[in-house]
Amino acid sequence: MPIHEKSLIRPEKLVEHEHLVIEGMDVSGHWSTFIEGRSLTDYNEAMQDEIAALPGGENIHRCWQCGSCTNACTVNAINPEFNPRYWIYLIRLGMEEELLRDKDIIWQCVSCNKCTYACPRDVVPEAVMKATAHWLELKGHTPKSPSMIFDEGFSDQVFHSGKIEDSLVLRNFFKATGQPLTQPWLVAMVTGLIKRFPVFYLIRLGLLTLFHPKTKRWGKARAAIHEYVEECETANRKALGLDAKGAE
Amino acid sequence: MTKPVLIIGGGPAGLSAAHALAISGRKAILVEKEDRLGGAPILQGYAKLVPSHEWARDAIGGMVNRVVSNPLVDVKLNSSVQKFDGEPGNFVATLKDGSTVEADTAILTTGFTHFDSINKPEWGFGTYPDVVTTVQVEQMISSGKGIRCPSDGRVPDRVAILLCVGSRDRQIGREWCSKICCTVSANIAMEIREMSPKTNVYIYYMDIRTFGLYEGEYYWGSQEEYKVKYVKARIAEVTSDGKRLLVKGEDTLVKRPISIPFDMVVHAIGMDPNVDNMTISSVFDVKLNKYGYIGKPSTYLHMAETSRPGVFVAGSATGPETIDDSIAQGTAAAMAALNFANMAVQAAAE
Repeated sequence: MPIHEKSLIRPEKLVEHEHLVIEGMDVSGHWSTFIEGRSLTDYNEAMQDEIAALPGGENIHRCWQCGSCTNACTVNAINPEFNPRYWIYLIRLGMEEELLRDKDIIWQCVSCNKCTYACPRDVVPEAVMKATAHWLELKGHTPKSPSMIFDEGFSDQVFHSGKIEDSLVLRNFFKATGQPLTQPWLVAMVTGLIKRFPVFYLIRLGLLTLFHPKTKRWGKARAAIHEYVEECETANRKALGLDAKGAE
Repeated sequence: MTKPVLIIGGGPAGLSAAHALAISGRKAILVEKEDRLGGAPILQGYAKLVPSHEWARDAIGGMVNRVVSNPLVDVKLNSSVQKFDGEPGNFVATLKDGSTVEADTAILTTGFTHFDSINKPEWGFGTYPDVVTTVQVEQMISSGKGIRCPSDGRVPDRVAILLCVGSRDRQIGREWCSKICCTVSANIAMEIREMSPKTNVYIYYMDIRTFGLYEGEYYWGSQEEYKVKYVKARIAEVTSDGKRLLVKGEDTLVKRPISIPFDMVVHAIGMDPNVDNMTISSVFDVKLNKYGYIGKPSTYLHMAETSRPGVFVAGSATGPETIDDSIAQGTAAAMAALNFANMAVQAAAE
């Protein structure tokens, strides 16, 4: 019969000495195998407050671990390791080291919001997942996710000119994520456009790509938006105990 | 018909029964073994009560004054019943001082005894001064001293409340849920957070049973407004690292052992049967139930009856009970006593 506890042993906790003699007894190799303890020895009490300070994390302290979110979760259905209920618990009790073990899947939330409508306590787990992914980035535990890079490029353009230019959004995104611009689907779309689009529109498209028009009298709005965004970002970093300006 | 009703125990149930009888024009004799009326909330120094948040001395004090100032109630303090003879309608009780009183019927409102944490030595009570009980925390609050570690008087940074101490535990012969400890613990946790916002409070639970309307105000409220943290773990052991207490157990949800430092550990102690129940059972010739509380033969037809006709029971003498339900049961027992006397009169008339 398989021993369930074996699944709890983590490889990094297995210690084995290649050459070891204890009181004259040679216990080299697997004879000296030892499993280090798994005890948690403290709570990080700042952690819940940090996540709660980020947009979306405000209601995390309401969670009572019923599991409605995980049960409803689209991603969990595909990957059982994706468990919002569990991560919320780890954050609430400040088990940072445990949370970091899952840092590379937390951002995979697809924001379907099924959890949001299942949660009996209005924790808004989807928003908590966003706040957590954000926290992981700000703390430098994870690189910016592709979706975050896309969002930033997109909003930078809106803030700058009050408009977006699709081709520029795409080019910037592929550049920032190190992907070639010659994506087969993109090439197919562009050649299709050239073949089928009326010349007038093609000329307009081309001009827009070269000159990025701005919304008229945008300067004031741009300044206000920049000021607000900076204010928010500074507050977020302060809540996490980080320097005012990005260290990354 | 002119004989009074004998009430044994001056806690919320007894006070409620005495008041109900007196306002119905019946005489009552209220026998209390301590030197004051009020029962556990007064004698044990409770702070603010669930669910009204009134101070115990005000809320229960009001009940005491109402009874003491009523000429139909004869209060006998520092007294107890040594012998109880006779038939319904003609009971004779011999009190501690040798005097006798006659009574029509009797109501037992003899209450409960708090679980003594010494009986769970692995949780550190009696070994470490900073391991205290919910009753001690109530006293810290009601005395105005505030939450302080008994060892050195410091305000704790971190408090653990362990639920089900002396409840739901076959190892110590206490299989029942004491019903009120979850709510009382949530209430205490909120009071600690209010008095000392820098103190973090953790509640270690197997289940949370803040039943009925207590759910919103106490369970949800303690989490949502006061950020009290609930950890699903039955604690195995409370020890010390020489500086702080160490709370050891398994965090059920993380599937990992925990060994977390705390400044203060609070035992949410349960409600035992009154330690005097064996004596009460033999003096009044009433049967106890399998847990040692005073037994009630019928749940539906005669809620206040015991195994002996003419002897009624109310409140936490019958099992763990809230203050408000004890008061309701006290009134119900008074009603049962009135009915009983009435039926005797009718029978005599026929």
